[in-house]
Amino acid sequence: MRIMIVDDEAPARMRLRRLIEELGEYQVVGEAANGREALLRYGELNPDILLMDIRMPGMDGLEAAKHLSALPDPPAVIFTTAYSDHALAAFEAHAVGYLLKPVRKERLDEALKAVRRLTRSQVESVHAQEGRARSHICAYVRGNLQLIPVSRIRYFQADQKYVTVRFPEGRVLIEESLKALEEEFGDSFIRIHRNALVACAYVTGLEKTAEGSCQVRLQDIPEPLEVSRRHVAAVRRKFKELAI
Amino acid sequence: MRGKNNNDAKGIGLPREDTLFLPDFCGVRTVFVVVVSAQLLAFLVLLARMDQATDPWGELGLVSLFVQWVALSSAALLCIARPLLRRLGNVGAGLASYGLVLLATLAVSELAYWIMGGISLGSEPVVAGHAGFLARNLAIGAIVGAVALRYLYVQHRWRRNLEAEARARFQALQARIRPHFLFNSMNTIASLTRSRPDLAETAVEDLADLFRAALGDGREQVSLAEELEFGRRYLNIERLRLGERLTVDWDDVDALPQDIMLPALTLQPLLENAVYHGIAPLPEGGTVQVSGRCDHGMLTLAVSNPIPSEPGAASSRGNRMALENIRQRLEAVYGNRARLTTETTANQYRVIMSIPCGTGWT
Repeated sequence: MRIMIVDDEAPARMRLRRLIEELGEYQVVGEAANGREALLRYGELNPDILLMDIRMPGMDGLEAAKHLSALPDPPAVIFTTAYSDHALAAFEAHAVGYLLKPVRKERLDEALKAVRRLTRSQVESVHAQEGRARSHICAYVRGNLQLIPVSRIRYFQADQKYVTVRFPEGRVLIEESLKALEEEFGDSFIRIHRNALVACAYVTGLEKTAEGSCQVRLQDIPEPLEVSRRHVAAVRRKFKELAI
Repeated sequence: MRGKNNNDAKGIGLPREDTLFLPDFCGVRTVFVVVVSAQLLAFLVLLARMDQATDPWGELGLVSLFVQWVALSSAALLCIARPLLRRLGNVGAGLASYGLVLLATLAVSELAYWIMGGISLGSEPVVAGHAGFLARNLAIGAIVGAVALRYLYVQHRWRRNLEAEARARFQALQARIRPHFLFNSMNTIASLTRSRPDLAETAVEDLADLFRAALGDGREQVSLAEELEFGRRYLNIERLRLGERLTVDWDDVDALPQDIMLPALTLQPLLENAVYHGIAPLPEGGTVQVSGRCDHGMLTLAVSNPIPSEPGAASSRGNRMALENIRQRLEAVYGNRARLTTETTANQYRVIMSIPCGTGWT
């Protein structure tokens, strides 16, 4: 069994590595200091199990697990945490494995023997209980994992089955519903059309077209986006608020 | 007044001193209250039989004289008997003081009867029968005494509740190091015990010192030198955990007068906040800057940290709670003379705490 250790604290990683080596039957294939690094190294290391801290800078363990669980062949994840905070009730409710730090060797052994793959719904329900928005959008481009920081995204545009995620460097397709995205990122994105959400922070202008409809311009993005008649008033109001 | 306040303040540490519900009847303030209340009672008695009075002013003088005598002799008895009453507990002291009030009433009435018996005011004799006079005065004394004692008891209980509440809140606020910190530190120590036993040992010592202070070693005030030491110990532990990600810049705090007293654990939580909300969420870490100055009788300490680009809603709420906690503790000690303010610039968050220093406060 190949194990990857994900924790932002070097002493914590060191200790887990030592405990696992003492158990003997497992191989530590690599370490990562946060969720983002874990996802980026995942493809190269190809671990069967991730021992992952919940609270990490950049991208936390829950979000990383959420992205991993969307993979076609997801790894097993055991969370580690120093303090039994409210999140753990959700873990228990959804049979998600976790260990309390400092981790005991026997507990680690039991947890590794009992590992199960996380299902997407498990992670999602835990994550939803946390009530936090993701910091990154994860997309699979020709089998490779690509992470796009939400703070760089200019807009989401729905098209049939997929949603296009647009950022200055390009665009990717994800399989999520615009409605769910709106719920998750409603604080920083606004609906301008039945099929589009734009990042409020990057709107540079609202303008009228020759045909009399309204469109928005976004920073670093050449194409304007149409604002539907239904949303014009709400969009104007929002930008008036932001302008103040 | 001054003496009484000091006594109250000490009461936080020594609750036994103030268990008797009766105020100190030897004190000027209490005697004054007794005199004013007695006079009001005299007015009341006179008003009740205004229509029968032939010479209202003369009668007011007599009634006042009588009531004041009863009141002041009761107060004198209670003042003398205070050490005795304190030993009786509140129920015993209540009954005993009630008895003393009745005794004073009886004695003064008896005296008044003999003096007044000789004189007569106007056509009517001032007092009718001996027994009737005594009984009437005793009844009034019994009712007024009971009401007054009950009032004092209720007021005492209310004040004790207030004190207990303030004390409990203070202690709860003090024992407030984040549990996360404890368990993370334990984990760090567990990691270091084999690889770096020397560091693990220091960490255990630092942790012990911090928790001794947090769990309250009985002292509510420490010197600035001690508080800075708490801060250093705390940051030592966090540095083991966060490694290169945490750097601390102690500006010029050693130049401050190190013997200024301040409530224990006021700077440490600010540092904890800076690490927790400023450094830990940054993958690349950052610098916590501590600076201080002392002028115009105010000690000002400032702690600043970088702001993570994506602040979580939950963490800023935690920060506000921690600041509110410190603010309440400062208020409990300094009233409105201490200040806790925050400043936010594009990439720095700064908390500034100002407390009075020098001899102007106790």
